Amino acid sequence: MIVGITIITVSILVNQVTKETFSKNNPGLDAVVGAKGSPLQLILSSIHHIDIPTGNISYQNARKIIKHPAIKSAIPISLGDNFQNFRIVGTNKTFLKLYKANLISGTTWSQPMQAVIGYNVSKITKLKINKFFVGSHGLIDTGDVHAEQPYKVVGVLKKTGTILDNLILTSLDSVWNLHSVTNKDKLEITSLLLKYKNKTSSFSFPRLINKGTNMQAASPSFEISKLLKLTGNAHRIVDYLSVLIIILSFLGILFTLLNNINERKYDLAVLRTLGFSRWKLFSIILSEGMIISILGSTIGLIFGYIIYESMYYFSIVGRSLELGQLNFLNDLFLIWIIVNIIAFITCLVPCLKVYKQNIRSTLLNS
Amino acid sequence: MLICEDISFDIDGQKLFSNINLNIKPQKDLLITGPSGVGKTTLLSILCGIQKPTTGKITYNSIDLYNLPENKIDEFRGINLGVVFQNFNLINTFTVKQNLEIAVGAIDTKKSIPFFNILDRVGLANKSHIKVANLSIGEKQRLAVARAFVGDPKWVFCDEPTSSLDDKNADIIANLIKDESLRCKASLVLITHDNRIQSLIKFSKILKLGD
Repeated sequence: MIVGITIITVSILVNQVTKETFSKNNPGLDAVVGAKGSPLQLILSSIHHIDIPTGNISYQNARKIIKHPAIKSAIPISLGDNFQNFRIVGTNKTFLKLYKANLISGTTWSQPMQAVIGYNVSKITKLKINKFFVGSHGLIDTGDVHAEQPYKVVGVLKKTGTILDNLILTSLDSVWNLHSVTNKDKLEITSLLLKYKNKTSSFSFPRLINKGTNMQAASPSFEISKLLKLTGNAHRIVDYLSVLIIILSFLGILFTLLNNINERKYDLAVLRTLGFSRWKLFSIILSEGMIISILGSTIGLIFGYIIYESMYYFSIVGRSLELGQLNFLNDLFLIWIIVNIIAFITCLVPCLKVYKQNIRSTLLNS
Repeated sequence: MLICEDISFDIDGQKLFSNINLNIKPQKDLLITGPSGVGKTTLLSILCGIQKPTTGKITYNSIDLYNLPENKIDEFRGINLGVVFQNFNLINTFTVKQNLEIAVGAIDTKKSIPFFNILDRVGLANKSHIKVANLSIGEKQRLAVARAFVGDPKWVFCDEPTSSLDDKNADIIANLIKDESLRCKASLVLITHDNRIQSLIKFSKILKLGD
């Protein structure tokens, strides 16, 4: 029972939070344009910051896209460095508006090498306004740092519950300066986050980019739904497995109670002679079964939640996926109720056996 | 008052006994004797509400026992009757004290029960934490008597309480039953084929089954 409920709890939490997080991290973006490669990788790296980018694109080419009549807004981002595994994102201030971000303290950057840090970054790294830090090469902390050019924290963002909480934002110039790119023709960015003026562009625009340029345009909603479909199948297998374990635990409760009753039928008959009514014994046996079920399902839920929280806390992936609102608790509560209702029905079998017991023949046969 | 009217009992269509009529006034004693196999234990089960008779009616102070719902019969037995079974019917995995506690638990009494006094009277005060399985036959019999009287019943039924005991222990048990009946002001119905019992307890009525 505990194992089954634990597995199903973890599965539900991971499934729900993943869906919710993916949806919260995308504030209505229609497309991402980046270097050719896996479109899913481009989406995961540019919006959800859980994969490496497919490469860089020319900023000159990107500017052409920004000016395209089908585009309502375009935000360039440039990745490449991190601080204590938190990604440093070079971008413009529209990125903050995209996530409706507000500052707890400080201001946004006004010159290169100034940074605005997300809520979780500030909490975990203890960085504060006017503190300096140096970025490391790459997207995972390798110790290879840009020691000569530290960033200065100028602002800390309020919690948004999105990926923004785990990012360090700075200007594009900061990233270019840090990597000594001075030739304006050779400036590069990682990707461009786009919103269309008209949704009908979602068919024509990607085709234009994918066939006419050395870049690719990927749709976040399409790629993420593909990903969730794939992971959903894995979740379903885990769910079926946990349901099977729960069914086995019901049978366990049933046979344990039946076995107990068989072993204690003489004692139960003695209790009847002492004045315990059929209903009293019925309720005692029912209570025994329900205590096992309620304890098992509750401990399973708690274990599941602890395992999920540990996964969330200890994994880098988890760190960049922000815990969503707790509306999935309703699902867990529903499962808890259903499991205990089925356990109640299961317990009725041995209870009825006790209820129908003939005390005289039981005592005589004993 | 306990009144039995025209009690009969059939097993597989064969009459075990029939037309048994009894009338036991408060604090009066009845001895039911007879050879083995005449239905003494069955009659006791019927009087206690454990076995429904084939015909007849049993009333306790105008309460028709078998007219009560089954749950109420169990409750009535727990509150008003004390039973000492031939094979004791103790819970062997429980301790001496737990066997008394469970009997008190059955009647939901709010009275505080002086378990130590009861065990002291039956000579088991120093064995209260010993499991029943480890008691001797005589000790089990004494515990069975203690349990029957623990709720201060109005009627007490004893089935062969001395048959398996030696003279010394039979004397102890008979005196215990007599003393506890007097203390509880209970009517006593005792079933036995053991002739020694009549010299130990004076009964106001004697019913011979199988005559």
